[in-house]
Amino acid sequence: MTRITIVPCSGIGKTYGSVSREAAYCVTQDLRPGATQLMALSRLVMGDDAARAAVAAGPAITIDGCQLACATKMVQHCGGNVVRAFAVLEVYRRHRQLKPQGIAELNQGGRLLANALAEEIGAVVDALEAGDQHA
Amino acid sequence: MPDLPKKKVGLVACSGEELPEGTVTRLAALRVLHELRPDDTVTICLPLFLAGGAGDRAFARFFPTIAIDGCAQRCAARATAQYSGKPAAGVVVNEIVAERGLPALEGLRHLNMAGEQAVALTAERIAGLVDQLLATPWDRRAGAPAGTPQATCACGSGLAVSTLTVGGAVVTLAALPLILEQFRQAGRPADEATAADLLTAVRVYNALPAGDEPAWRAALLREYAVFCATPQEAAP
Repeated sequence: MTRITIVPCSGIGKTYGSVSREAAYCVTQDLRPGATQLMALSRLVMGDDAARAAVAAGPAITIDGCQLACATKMVQHCGGNVVRAFAVLEVYRRHRQLKPQGIAELNQGGRLLANALAEEIGAVVDALEAGDQHA
Repeated sequence: MPDLPKKKVGLVACSGEELPEGTVTRLAALRVLHELRPDDTVTICLPLFLAGGAGDRAFARFFPTIAIDGCAQRCAARATAQYSGKPAAGVVVNEIVAERGLPALEGLRHLNMAGEQAVALTAERIAGLVDQLLATPWDRRAGAPAGTPQATCACGSGLAVSTLTVGGAVVTLAALPLILEQFRQAGRPADEATAADLLTAVRVYNALPAGDEPAWRAALLREYAVFCATPQEAAP
């Protein structure tokens, strides 16, 4: 099966951007390393051929840190198939007790929120894989 | 009212999530922003250049920027040049690593020792560039070092100035070219509402005498109409 591409927000100035990145690392390195691949948004911004080919070749899951939804927009702009677009703020609304703080270094709430988000993404990855196997 | 930061340098980090060097760019930019030069820098989100960040694009078009790239692809430098304005300076992390003979960087979420050293070295390099750029008069209309320092405000901020006639008197206004450009980019029509907003914006950067506001609004509106009728410079 083609690996599912995980594209996080590249924001560096706000906590939610850091949460999106940490969640992407958690999925691609810890939870579903064999089924997913990480894509740097900057490569898509520049129209890197290999990056565009990667997102065009299979499903993509985006993680946005704010309402501008750069990750989702960029993947769509590059012809990718966004099967699920996560927004950190929406996940935070479901986990109000996990208040993220910090940018360069997330606090415990931020790390736990990223983990919760990663678990949700992992479930989507599992569903996609199951669908693919049944196809 | 337009938000016109004064004497700031924009930091555009590639933030490449796939490489340790990308993590270094991000952490180095944050170190400069938060610790080394907090009053002199802002960060600009690279993806926003494409995703609709008009403010980010406008800032990088008028103000000096430093592209902070992790590798030779130089995504930050190229994206800034392509979608906004040519960066005034740039650093490439793997070049700094090679220059300083650091061992291979490892880790995306948690850098190894070499990565931490690279963050420190890159941040210091950026801070030095910030100092250099702030010491250089900057033409914010051209998005390049100024060749005509008399065209900027005497306060040394580097803000472009222009003159206009108000009630028969010739006055010099700081930041007016930039304000006009931002209003044009916002698609503001040349009408009374815009005139009032222009006056509000101009007051932020200039001490205007009280009274005779109709004359000021009329003069600014006239200037704005002329400005809008002038063909825009080609995007870099």
